[in-house]
Amino acid sequence: MRLLQLLLALALSVNAASHYVTVAGLGGEPDYEQRFSAWARSIDQVLRQSQIGGKVHLLIGSDATREKLRARLEEAAADCGPADAFVLMLVGHGSFDGVDYKFNLPGPDISASELAGYLNRIRAARQLVAVMTSSSGGAIEALRRENRILVTATKSGTEKNATIFARYWADALRDPSSDTDKNQAITVLEAFRYASQKTAAFYESQKRLATEHPLIEDTGRGEGVRNPSPEEGSGRLAAVFTLLRFGAAQQQANDPAKRKLFERKEELEQQIDALKYQKAAMRSDEYKKQLTALLLELARTEEELEK
Amino acid sequence: MKLRAVGLVLLAAALQAETLDACRQMDRKGRPAEAARCYQALVSARDPFVRAEALFALGRYAEANDQYRQAVAAAPKNPDYRAAWGRLYLDREQKQDAVDLFNEALSLQPDHAGALLGLALAASEGFDQMAEQLALRALAANPKLTEARVLLARMALEDGNAEKARAEADKALSIDPELLEALSIKAAADWLEDRTDSPSLRQALRLNPVYGEIYAVIARFLVLNRRYEEGVELYRKALELNPRLYKARAELGLNLLRLGQAEEARRHLEACYRAGETYPAVGNPLRLLDTYGDFRYFRRGNFILKLHQKEADLLLPYFEEEIARALAAYEERYRLRLDRPVQVEVYPNHEDFAVRVLGMPGMPALGVTFVNVIAMDSPTSRKPGEFHWASTLWHELSHVFTLAATRQRMPRWFTEGLAVRDETAVSPDWGDRISPAVVLALRDKKLLPIAELDRGFVHPSDPEQVVVSYFQAGRACTFIEKTWGFQKLLDMIHAFGKLKSTPEVIREQLGMEPEEFDRRFMAWVSEENKTTVAGFEEWKKGMRRLSELVKARDYEGIVREAPAVRDLYPEFVEDGNAYTVLADAYLARGEPQKAAAELERYARAGGRNPETLKLLAKLKEDLGRPQEAVEVLKRINYIYPRDEEVHQRLGELLLAAGDARGAIREFQALVAMRPIDEAAARYNLARAYRLAGKNEEAREQVLSALEAAPGYRPAQKLLLELSQSKEGNP
Repeated sequence: MRLLQLLLALALSVNAASHYVTVAGLGGEPDYEQRFSAWARSIDQVLRQSQIGGKVHLLIGSDATREKLRARLEEAAADCGPADAFVLMLVGHGSFDGVDYKFNLPGPDISASELAGYLNRIRAARQLVAVMTSSSGGAIEALRRENRILVTATKSGTEKNATIFARYWADALRDPSSDTDKNQAITVLEAFRYASQKTAAFYESQKRLATEHPLIEDTGRGEGVRNPSPEEGSGRLAAVFTLLRFGAAQQQANDPAKRKLFERKEELEQQIDALKYQKAAMRSDEYKKQLTALLLELARTEEELEK
Repeated sequence: MKLRAVGLVLLAAALQAETLDACRQMDRKGRPAEAARCYQALVSARDPFVRAEALFALGRYAEANDQYRQAVAAAPKNPDYRAAWGRLYLDREQKQDAVDLFNEALSLQPDHAGALLGLALAASEGFDQMAEQLALRALAANPKLTEARVLLARMALEDGNAEKARAEADKALSIDPELLEALSIKAAADWLEDRTDSPSLRQALRLNPVYGEIYAVIARFLVLNRRYEEGVELYRKALELNPRLYKARAELGLNLLRLGQAEEARRHLEACYRAGETYPAVGNPLRLLDTYGDFRYFRRGNFILKLHQKEADLLLPYFEEEIARALAAYEERYRLRLDRPVQVEVYPNHEDFAVRVLGMPGMPALGVTFVNVIAMDSPTSRKPGEFHWASTLWHELSHVFTLAATRQRMPRWFTEGLAVRDETAVSPDWGDRISPAVVLALRDKKLLPIAELDRGFVHPSDPEQVVVSYFQAGRACTFIEKTWGFQKLLDMIHAFGKLKSTPEVIREQLGMEPEEFDRRFMAWVSEENKTTVAGFEEWKKGMRRLSELVKARDYEGIVREAPAVRDLYPEFVEDGNAYTVLADAYLARGEPQKAAAELERYARAGGRNPETLKLLAKLKEDLGRPQEAVEVLKRINYIYPRDEEVHQRLGELLLAAGDARGAIREFQALVAMRPIDEAAARYNLARAYRLAGKNEEAREQVLSALEAAPGYRPAQKLLLELSQSKEGNP
């Protein structure tokens, strides 16, 4: 329970500044160049339009070099404090030689171990690195670290085909249906589940064998999983790491007249979450009774907030 | 000394050859134990070829293989050995290896009768028309090759030509009056005519009282003629006489599986497997049977529906409604009530469906009927838009009725023709469209005479001929209906049920010779399709031109030229068709109404691409025609129901129109798909329940929605509303 409260507190403190860097790597062929650029631009645009605040950077085309990426990472190392969040999203091709992963860029590529060196100097307590490329699963070992969330498009370095995961990641940030808990915020977990499910559905509908299997890793142990379950330990950080917000939620938090109601609302949400964790140990009728009571009170509180 | 040694070797070989023949004779006379001892004695013969043949006969296939290899190595220029070795591979269902050996034999001796026969047998397994030519070449090389005659007889009977089958069998019997294989074909011909007291059968069993193979041969023909239950009984009889007929046992297992008798099927297939018969036609069905625990069975009145658990909740409402509708329609149409429930099995994995039907993967069909059991592809087994599951279902259910009406004694062309006609009777946009292969067949006058149309299904000259034959059979039935009325089709059904041949039925029921029927039918079907046939080359040029205009984004050009191209071949609705090209051009020009009209034409012409139909639905919605949008979205459910967006939009439209029942079905389907946005799906389902006055169900759903998303405002409001209703407040 305490861990849950701590995590929720971290989630609520996401009003601290965030630093986003999206990179579209080398496509090689015009078709891939166009796709990678489009997906990266889509991600960048939605971040700028959201209410998340913070700094948003896009490296694309001839700007997407190793030197410029290093410069952005060094800038984040200088800017970010422990309360901040840092997000790096890589879109493109990757490769794995059995030892290290490399993200393909115009000019020299950048390896996962090199990226790890820069990322480890960024003091933001919460980090997300989404490596949405072929062979990206090979980057997990080099990049893993406590309190760092890793999302990869492939489960290992040997899944070498070009990936489409990034397309659905970009869609996740735009599609309200990815906000499955309807709190007007899209977390890393929600975006991952959306993109992962859509990727699998793509191969299934085309009757093709899937050549990419996305993973998420947020325990620091380097054990990426395909179906994270916060109740069982994987995905807990991702569940409370908000990527972007939309709608009225942000404004309510800032209105002093409604602060008390807002706090009561958040209390009720925490109680509901806590009750859900206990579901397996409860009688179903008792669980339902308690859940209904909390949900009704939450609904009435929301009604008051809307007035 | 050397000469004497050589002489002794030759004498020994001659003696051993005689002994092989002697062993074979013991087998043919029904003395299997003696034959086995005889072969066993030859296992240690000096000649590796003799050893190989003996081991093959004893069923010790791996050892036989080794001995054949040795024989060939010792005598690489001997084509006999390779041809014989090839027969081992053919027996073990390794066709390509067999064919390679036969070809090697032919490269040593181009007219080697045994190798030619081997190739003919290999080709005949795939019902390849080449088989006949190869058999004739074998006979030209060796006129006394009775096995080739028997093959010709068999193929003739497969084509439904009993007269020719008997003639070929008699030719073989004139060389060897005790040839059991030839007697088997004649017995099968008798049995197909319901003459079960066959003199050929009696004669064969007199010669060899344990010749179970004869019953297996008859069974195969019965199965080929869709008389599965009779076939199963005869396979059983075959095994009573000779329990070691593992091929027959495997075929019994497969046919029991086809009839839905899974447990007994498993017993027989496992017995084959334990006996070392591990080839794919045994292994594949066993592996499939292992997955049967993943299916759920739904019993409803006069049918049973088997769906895979992963899609049962999604497909159940659509399938059960359609099955009920089809059964009611067919009971009325064919004036027949079935004596047992129909079982419909739906497979999400196409290769499982193929194994279910054939024992092997790689079958192109979408659905197959076995008496009262239908197996078909699930709509999710194919790419979206690849097939129309409801049309396939009605097609197969038609077979159940028409075959039941004739106790499974209907020629293939007629049952297929009725099924094709029945599909399109539900809605003109159901059923297959006229494909380019059909257009070419019409243009080149390649339709078969009605008396030979079965051949187009059983021994097609190429895969396209099957498609053309379906078209021809369907149009023939429609032609008969339009000319003489539907009652005439019913009369023909009953005539076929009395085992009358196609020429007999045509004469008796339509009052003309088959040739006259062909003339009239060809004239009618040519007239019906004259524009497309005459304009085919122009259409192809037109399509290439449209493709260039699309690349150049010349929307003016497309609008100007596409309608004429479309009208040359209006049934062409595949990818790149003129309808969608034109609609895209209208949209690019900001003319959504014209785009909608064009896509409406596409849909009415039978277009099935779900994305295109979704676009049509959206256009209709945007143009303020929601009811029409509903009809389009419902159409997509008949093609590919695994589309979240379709269920969402259709559900919303039905809610808005006040159709609570329809909305419930759509949102239930959405929930069954476990969408990413489960909260929204359950909330919408709650709304639909609320509309239907089912407040308790609504409450359950809204609580589930809020459990997933406690802050979901619309769901919260609904919960408050429902709570107030419960408390008796307005």
